[in-house]
Amino acid sequence: MAYNITDNCRGCRACVRPCPTQAISGERHEVHIIDPQRCIECGTCGRICPYEAILTPQGSLAQRVKKMNWPKPVVDQKTCVSCGLCVTICPVSCFELEFIQEKSAARGFPILARPNDCIACIFCADICPVEAITMRARNKA
Amino acid sequence: MPGYMGKVLWVDLGKQQFREEEIPEDIYQDFLSGMGLAAHLLYEHIPPGADPLGPDNVLGFVSGLLTGTPSLFSGRWLAVGKSPLTNTWGDANCGGYFSFAIKKCGYDGIFFTGQSEQPVYLSVDPGGSQLLEAEDLWGSDATEAENTLLERHGAQRMPGVICIGPAGEKQSLIAGISHDFGRMAARSGLGAVMGSKNLKAVVLAGAQPVSVADSQQMKALCQKPARITRFRIPLSARMMALAGKLLRNPWIKLRWDGILFSGVLRKWGTVGLNQTSIEWGDAPIKNWAGTHQDFPLEASKQIAPDAISKLEQKKYHCLACPLGCGGKIKGLGENQVTKKPEYETTLAFTGLVLNEDYSLVIEVNDLLNRAGMDTISAGATVAAAIEWYQDGLLTREDTGELELTWGNPDAILALVKAMIAREGIGDVLADGSKRAAERLNIKDRQAAITAGGSELAFHDTRLDPGFGLHAGVEPAPGRHTSGAFIYYNLYRLWTRIKHLPKPPLITSKKKHFIPSKEIIRRAVAISKFTNYYNTLGICLFGIYIGVDRLPLFEWTNAATGWSRSPEDYLTVGHRIQTLRQLFNIKQGVNPVDIKISRRALGIPPQESGPNQGNQIDYPALRRMYWEQIGWDPETGYPTQETLKALGLEHRLSGLEEEYGV
Repeated sequence: MAYNITDNCRGCRACVRPCPTQAISGERHEVHIIDPQRCIECGTCGRICPYEAILTPQGSLAQRVKKMNWPKPVVDQKTCVSCGLCVTICPVSCFELEFIQEKSAARGFPILARPNDCIACIFCADICPVEAITMRARNKA
Repeated sequence: MPGYMGKVLWVDLGKQQFREEEIPEDIYQDFLSGMGLAAHLLYEHIPPGADPLGPDNVLGFVSGLLTGTPSLFSGRWLAVGKSPLTNTWGDANCGGYFSFAIKKCGYDGIFFTGQSEQPVYLSVDPGGSQLLEAEDLWGSDATEAENTLLERHGAQRMPGVICIGPAGEKQSLIAGISHDFGRMAARSGLGAVMGSKNLKAVVLAGAQPVSVADSQQMKALCQKPARITRFRIPLSARMMALAGKLLRNPWIKLRWDGILFSGVLRKWGTVGLNQTSIEWGDAPIKNWAGTHQDFPLEASKQIAPDAISKLEQKKYHCLACPLGCGGKIKGLGENQVTKKPEYETTLAFTGLVLNEDYSLVIEVNDLLNRAGMDTISAGATVAAAIEWYQDGLLTREDTGELELTWGNPDAILALVKAMIAREGIGDVLADGSKRAAERLNIKDRQAAITAGGSELAFHDTRLDPGFGLHAGVEPAPGRHTSGAFIYYNLYRLWTRIKHLPKPPLITSKKKHFIPSKEIIRRAVAISKFTNYYNTLGICLFGIYIGVDRLPLFEWTNAATGWSRSPEDYLTVGHRIQTLRQLFNIKQGVNPVDIKISRRALGIPPQESGPNQGNQIDYPALRRMYWEQIGWDPETGYPTQETLKALGLEHRLSGLEEEYGV
């Protein structure tokens, strides 16, 4: 399963660089293709495409979302168990561990260290076993 | 694919070729992933009598079915292959985050065949797989190599890196495979297999998430274990030592609730049990010949949990772990930070060799981690060498002027360095204590404490004979993680499997030493269950809280979309255990020949201490275990009825002579 590009593609290349696995290729002004072996279904291409040319793996048209409205993960450190699944799954490595001193040693909790790199794929919130991550759009924060 | 990725990668190092193999659905049904998938593939692909350090051996790295899903304690991976240390099935379990790195590349496992002519490393990323030159890395220690590879492949992307150090390169038979700066797939000598293949490292930088059938259900199931593992234990380090003293009584054993252990691990890590174990009679002292009286609280004060906590700077969590039993502590150099030595390493280089100086432990731990050498086997081998020296079986000339007396940190440090460099006596000891005794022509083998040639970890079989039984009967001999009687109490299998009995709160200690159908019934259940949870990538320390609190069976169903019973999953474990036993038979191992050192069996029994008088009737225990698990009680061969019941009868191809069919 992978995302697909339709004939609506104008070859603007807006999706090429943000794709975290470099799965998209094609000549400028020509229809691009997504390598299904590389696609991880993060949906970044669909959120970016200005021409509604991206189909989700389920076959529906992906909706463009202005980048400033992309939701970003907010970690509730009280709920977080420091398991690191979010840090490890993030395809663009935008988390880092912030070490907070406990009684003896410091324990690491994830923080969104590189918010501009976040592609709003929601993998972190999807995998968080204790529901400590919520995705919030900036204008709704 | 729900939970699993559906394929593995084969890398032929001789031909420098790659092949993806799709694994049929029925194999996942029968074997799940992890240990089961490895058993299926290694059994088929390693030819009988293969040289463990030759091109025919297969070295594999497998993830777990629950790794990378919304579950807890699911970050373990396994290195697998034929062990050059024991010539049997070999596996080594490790944490960190490499398990998910395997799945993020789209695989459940990566398997290496053949041997490369030049040092190479494997790199996998979304662009594909490549074997890259490792000439420049060969000779560097595991920390240097990992740093170089992280820098080269983008440290920020957190690629999963595993590598060998000089011990693996020099094919030390007790070499392991390092990950994340000192996490070690240490046992079975699989680092030597990697070295024999000229494979320095593996770097995995995929980004594929894992899909599951019912993510919401998996998360709902996480609530209980997440809550329980936050439990803060209201115990001080002094009380831990006192608890050890109380437990030393000769009469009764308690049915432990693993929540206590979980609390200790969260607070201190595995070192939380240092003094408890010594006082209790769990930690062998003076190479299994001493007792706590030889290493009293005054001697162990530097390894008291709170003393170590003062040095600890950061907690370390493996992937998906809410406990974080690992840690980074202040090293010996200025501003140096190093991995916190674990319980086994600490006891190996303190009580076992009567050393009181904790700085030796920190230094040796760092050296062995960098070298990529198993601290359990290395420590046990050092202890054997000291005993040989003290008994006059090794001379000062043999040791290169090292004064190998008990509790001599300088001599121990020098010996470990010689083992890593394979210099002088160190060259002999670098292959473990059993091989060393053979090479040194030491007839009295009682100081080499092994099972099937693999050094026993530091949990006294004379306190819990289950450690002895499992160390001998498991297809990878010499392990403390594959089973013990105490694990039955912790795993709480009776809460999910109705035909298994709930043990009483208090039992007689002596009862554990009388072979009975009842204790063997529990041991067999543990074996089956251990194989099952090793298919999932689950950590032993997670299961300590029991299956009614860590919902493994329910997670497996929610991840895969199946609705199978706990009994059914135990049958999977039984199938894997039996196929691994069949692997040994196919490799020409006679199960009867897997021996445990007499001292570990209490022959002769100790004359004082907590385990005074305790002796293990291993032949009787083994016979009963083989019978109850459906293997021939005399030979240890799985019976044809068992093979048929487990759907393994077709695996007998090539074993017709052994089976007389």
